[in-house]
Amino acid sequence: MRWLRRLWHKSLTERRLDSELQFHVEQQAAEYIAAGFPHEEARRRASIEFGGVERFKEECREARWENHLEILARDFRIAFRGLAKDRHFAFIAIFALALGIGASTAIFSVVDNAVFEPLPYKDSRHLVTIRLHDQDQADRWRGAFLFAEFQDLMKQNHVFDGMVANLEDDIVYTAGDGNLQLGGNYVTSGTFEFFGVAPFLGRSLEAADYQSGAPPVFVLRHATWVGKFNSDPSLIGKTFTLNGVSRTLVGIAAPRFAWGGADLWMPRGPDEPRVLREGDFPRHWGVVAHLRPGVTAHQASADLAVIAQRLSAVYPKEYPKHFTMEVLSFGSAVLSPRFRNSLYVFLAAVGLLLLIGCGNVANLLLARATAREKEFAVRAALGASRFRVVRQLLAESFLLAISGAMLGIFLAWAGVKTLAAVIPEFTIASETVIAMNGAVLLFALVVGVGTVFLFGLVPALQASRCDLHDSLRDTGKGVGRTVGRAGLRNAVIVLEVALSLALLFTAGLFMRSFVALQEVSLGLRMDHVLTARIPLPSGHYKTAAQLTSFFRPLLARLKSVPGIAFAAETSTLPPYGGIRSEVEVPGKAHTEKWNTLFQLCSEDYFSVLRIQFLDGRSFTEAEVNDARKVAVINQTFRRRYFGDENPIGRRIQLKELKEFSDPLNEPWFEVIGVVADVRNQGLQEPLWPEVWIPYTVTGSFMRGILVRTTNEPKSMIKAVGKEIWATDPSVAMAQPETLEYFLNLFTFAQPRFGLWLVTIFAVIGLVLVSIGVYSVIAYTTSRRTHEIGLRIALGAARADVLKMVLRKGLQLLLAGIIIGLGVSFALSRVLVSQLWGVSPYDRLTFVSVSGLLLLVGLIACWIPARRATRVNPSSALRYE
Amino acid sequence: MPQEKAEFLKGTLDMLILKVVAGGPIHGYAISQRIQQISKDFFQVPQGSLYPALHRLEERDWLEAEWKDTSTGREAKFYKLTRKGRAQLETEMLNWERLSDAVALILRTAG
Repeated sequence: MRWLRRLWHKSLTERRLDSELQFHVEQQAAEYIAAGFPHEEARRRASIEFGGVERFKEECREARWENHLEILARDFRIAFRGLAKDRHFAFIAIFALALGIGASTAIFSVVDNAVFEPLPYKDSRHLVTIRLHDQDQADRWRGAFLFAEFQDLMKQNHVFDGMVANLEDDIVYTAGDGNLQLGGNYVTSGTFEFFGVAPFLGRSLEAADYQSGAPPVFVLRHATWVGKFNSDPSLIGKTFTLNGVSRTLVGIAAPRFAWGGADLWMPRGPDEPRVLREGDFPRHWGVVAHLRPGVTAHQASADLAVIAQRLSAVYPKEYPKHFTMEVLSFGSAVLSPRFRNSLYVFLAAVGLLLLIGCGNVANLLLARATAREKEFAVRAALGASRFRVVRQLLAESFLLAISGAMLGIFLAWAGVKTLAAVIPEFTIASETVIAMNGAVLLFALVVGVGTVFLFGLVPALQASRCDLHDSLRDTGKGVGRTVGRAGLRNAVIVLEVALSLALLFTAGLFMRSFVALQEVSLGLRMDHVLTARIPLPSGHYKTAAQLTSFFRPLLARLKSVPGIAFAAETSTLPPYGGIRSEVEVPGKAHTEKWNTLFQLCSEDYFSVLRIQFLDGRSFTEAEVNDARKVAVINQTFRRRYFGDENPIGRRIQLKELKEFSDPLNEPWFEVIGVVADVRNQGLQEPLWPEVWIPYTVTGSFMRGILVRTTNEPKSMIKAVGKEIWATDPSVAMAQPETLEYFLNLFTFAQPRFGLWLVTIFAVIGLVLVSIGVYSVIAYTTSRRTHEIGLRIALGAARADVLKMVLRKGLQLLLAGIIIGLGVSFALSRVLVSQLWGVSPYDRLTFVSVSGLLLLVGLIACWIPARRATRVNPSSALRYE
Repeated sequence: MPQEKAEFLKGTLDMLILKVVAGGPIHGYAISQRIQQISKDFFQVPQGSLYPALHRLEERDWLEAEWKDTSTGREAKFYKLTRKGRAQLETEMLNWERLSDAVALILRTAG
């Protein structure tokens, strides 16, 4: 550590070095004095003999280790000064680099978390789910099975070494001061061992908990414990009243454990089958299995198909005529396929952005290197070794790279945080945690920093090797040796323009698509409507009469609340579907099945949603309360199944009602009204025929309420909850929200998220490209000052000069746009799944983004071009 | 007649310094004097080489230095051989003997 000490005590070291050398001279002088020389002469001789003190001192210093640190520090000081002098260059390079690194790391991290490593479970890559597909109807499949089916699949398969199932159930937690609605899951024996995640607190469910007569227990989800129970650890061991049963909380699951997206998990005991039914019908369980080592999903599908054939004979109602079994990875099953495609688009976009960013940095460095050729030559002529020049440039590159990297890491961190917060709900698995991915960050850093070093160093090596004479003579007339590098710069710019066009084009298409989606006419008014699901405890709400005994007083109470204009019962959330049924219309012969959607509702349904009547009338209160078999149909139903005939007074049969747990044996309804079409398959899918009937005809099916308020609907949630509590304290509403909230969540959130992200990328890309075009044109023009001055002196009009410079820029831009068109069309295959109501080859979008790019590019050219026309010929010619 | 004075062979200066210092603590001026005296003025030690060499040898831990008063009462930097330096000196001397033997042998017998 001697060198360290010396570094600290640098002045002492220097003094001692002086003293040592001084001593030598004194001794020498003393000898001359002894030999008889006069003092002055002796001193002079000794000094001459010793030679250049400073040079020796430097050599002595160089013998020491700490000296290298000093040289390094000096290199960095010079590099820093050089960059500070060229502040614009430094900022742009650092900004471009940081953006490339930050944006790509953020997006890649999201993709990696959401697509490749979404689940925190043991060996999650080999976890699969099972789907039964109806081969006759492409979009119909089920991924849930009867408990008996699940047991048969488990016993008879040869491809899984573990299988668990879950059943969702609405749980009402009755606390002293009100009810709390929670999502519960019954799970099968061995579930927690299967997923292999240790609990956060307490214990998981164990084998004994699933035994007959075991005390009822449950495990709470970490997020629910934090969000709804204030992370209170003393809750473990306490008893909670859940759906009227006293259950003991035995543990808090691991933070990312979210099987089934539930708030809590309860063991399915052998006594449970009686309880876990919907009326007379058994309910369906979700299934997850673990593939045996070496078994592929394909082999597993084949094995299950054989078992399913046998099962279809045992449970004929559960199986369509032609079906296939599909085994698919659990990770991919829990990610919405639409969002997966969006992620791939973002991935491509951010990759383009990283390329543009690196291209910009490369171009800036190349331009700077060309401009400094003379400087390198002078340094070399003054005796700087090649190593020294290269080291100097390395220090500069290092400063740029490290600043860019640090800013990039910060942007990546901020980007991941922001993305994790704004990713729409229900698009990624509940288990997925979006966090920064170290490996990805490292990759982006290597690409970005590598670009800096490559394009910083290659010109330096070239320059340090170059012919000094040539360089010193070259006065910047932009001819000769630099042509090759200019070609490289132009190529980089053309590529940047092309990539930027592809980004802009994508953003343009997303925007058109989003606008098209927003312009869809719903047929109903979403504003000022509050909705909530009302899960009724199955114990005492089974029949139509029981159901009516809850809703009839509730609706009456709600209507009397000030601020509520209308209140209605509903069976689905508009505009997202209804109950599918086969339909019969007497006197109409048809070969294929006639299908319709139907809704169970009360008389004010049409008033709440402001649905327009075209013909006939709505139900009366009496008709609903008496469960009269009357129906309102939509325009599509009338056109498709009645043609030109008047449907009022005609009868239709909704066959599905016969299959309900609380069935209707003669489901014939008299049509009393026709309403205008209302979206019923979301905004993007074509409308279905639809029928509304009084909710009182059956006790089956999930129910909810719709309330039209006169003021802000969210402010009415408490009042509505109070009326429900007053009607039956054992009932709680689930997810009370405005209709607009759901519309936004299910239809607009994802496209808006995509639009924002792609637009941000496209804007950043455009900014980077315009900077790139500007720097290249400005640089080329400045190299041609001499030539331009000469032209003006020889009588060229300033307009000609302007044209000349702009022509150069226009060439680059047009080449880039043409290549960009090709890139865009190549990307359209990925894009097409993300677009709605607009073609991936949309001409208007193409023309407008090309125009935008051209305009911005030409402005970037125009600034240096104008500067060129202001060249004073006499000063330009002197500019040697 | 400076032109007749020999240039040092590469590396020999280090060896000579080590050898001189092996005789006991000694300062830089005395080292140059000793080398000149012993070689009967054959080697004129250039100060420009001596001091960087001393600092280099110190950096390699072959020499260690101490500031002490000289007989005249002035403080000077005295160099001393370290254990590592002694081992180095022995190796270099052995190498030198082999080299000079070999060169002598060639000069005697070749041609």
